[in-house]
Amino acid sequence: MIEDDLRAAFARHEPLTPPTGPLRAAIDRLATGRRRRRQRWRAGGAALALLGVLGIGVPLLTPEHSGPRTAELLAEPGPTTPPGAVNVLLLGVDGDPPEAARADSVLLVHVPADRSRAYLVSLPRDLGVPIPGYGDDKLNASFAFGAGFRRPDPARGYELTRRTVAELTGVRIDAGAVLTYAAVRTLTDEVGGVPVCLPRQVRSIHTGRLFPAGCQRLGGAASVDLLRQREGLPRGSHDRDQTARIFAAGLVQRVTEGDVLTNPVRLSALLAALGPKLTVAPDRPAVLDLLRLIPTLASADPVGLGLPTIEPTGRDRYLRTDPRLTPEFLTALREDRLGEWVTRHPERVDGAR
Amino acid sequence: MTYEEFADTRLAPLLRYAVMLTGDPHQAQDLVQETMVRVQLNWRRVARADSPERYVRRMLTNQYVDWRRGSWMRRVLLRGEPDEAVPAPADHAQSAVDRDQIWSWLSRLPRRQRATLVLRYYEDLPDAEIADILGCAVGTVRSSISRALATLRAEYVEACS
Repeated sequence: MIEDDLRAAFARHEPLTPPTGPLRAAIDRLATGRRRRRQRWRAGGAALALLGVLGIGVPLLTPEHSGPRTAELLAEPGPTTPPGAVNVLLLGVDGDPPEAARADSVLLVHVPADRSRAYLVSLPRDLGVPIPGYGDDKLNASFAFGAGFRRPDPARGYELTRRTVAELTGVRIDAGAVLTYAAVRTLTDEVGGVPVCLPRQVRSIHTGRLFPAGCQRLGGAASVDLLRQREGLPRGSHDRDQTARIFAAGLVQRVTEGDVLTNPVRLSALLAALGPKLTVAPDRPAVLDLLRLIPTLASADPVGLGLPTIEPTGRDRYLRTDPRLTPEFLTALREDRLGEWVTRHPERVDGAR
Repeated sequence: MTYEEFADTRLAPLLRYAVMLTGDPHQAQDLVQETMVRVQLNWRRVARADSPERYVRRMLTNQYVDWRRGSWMRRVLLRGEPDEAVPAPADHAQSAVDRDQIWSWLSRLPRRQRATLVLRYYEDLPDAEIADILGCAVGTVRSSISRALATLRAEYVEACS
């Protein structure tokens, strides 16, 4: 009966609804004003580029680069986004500088020349690869080797991982970033939580928290908890890579949909909050230019993929690239035909987003 | 569909929905206004959705549920208490408890719970669609509805005793 009372109460209050005429006029007026403002921002160039930062993740700018580069961008407005496909390398790192020395997730963000959408390709951290100067080892060792052990430098860790990934895949990497868990936590909270749709439930071995299968919106601390989970998942770090892709997709979606991109006040608050947590180097062309791409993507829904791999055989300790699928996949990536590849191999795409 | 066509047919239902969510015509106007400005600015993306209507309803619901986001809450708070001056039309069939009390009890529920009640008992949507709008699992929808109903029932008991 309480249900009936509720229905009746809602129906009785329908007459509270104001007329739509004045509201519609107000909406049009405000939208026109904001559109104008947005165009001014776009002309500003640098500002919009900064917005895009949030779309891709957190590009970590080395202090010696960030100052002059911002000034440069402010001085030369106008669209300078690079033509052609763009690849961005994101490394998810456990711990905070200066201890950060393990890259738990390696994610290559590919934006095709037609700007239809972003592809998130994760490279398994246990993949055996030739690391320039260090021989055959696990992919995530490249970060540790590069960063050094006594006083790890994430910028150098990134650089060696970038060379390793570039040689493995044969693609040019235009920019990159190192994300610490602290940066992820701040970013997530600042955008008001990120929606994730999990294909299976995940129990945190760190906090005991249960993340149910299905869609949920997570705050910063919960997101970091989820992103760290690997043990107890059926496919271990493959599943964690998938979680990272799902999270990144949710973040991109959240940022493109929300008003983070259009509200300068929120944006500057966010950048201020993230500022001190960021380190590491962009590649050329300037990472900020690339980030301007985000608002131009036709679809806010990125496609998540794992690099095709096979389990270790014989005495091998590492995952290996799949001799059947990987060459075809990498060719598609290099020739900017990932869309076709995905159509031929729908089973390789993350179902949940 | 153009934005104009969408607004022609959908603005009134959205505004009614917002009234049920917020319980207040001014807040409802602010909420719809903020959402529809964003809809208009991003119309191409909205139009590409399978169901633009549901997409916009999701935007509006998120805006309502998420207290951290958006400036509309701050503006509303500056205005002070919700406007109580507009009386609802009288109803002759009174049950044991004055049924308008249920309307004021609704305002004490957490927003997410109130949203589930509005979606189910005003919009008459199936649970799966409610889950889609709120971005959560169907089970979460059900548990949040039953928690909300339990709270309301407790108010009933208190008011009757």
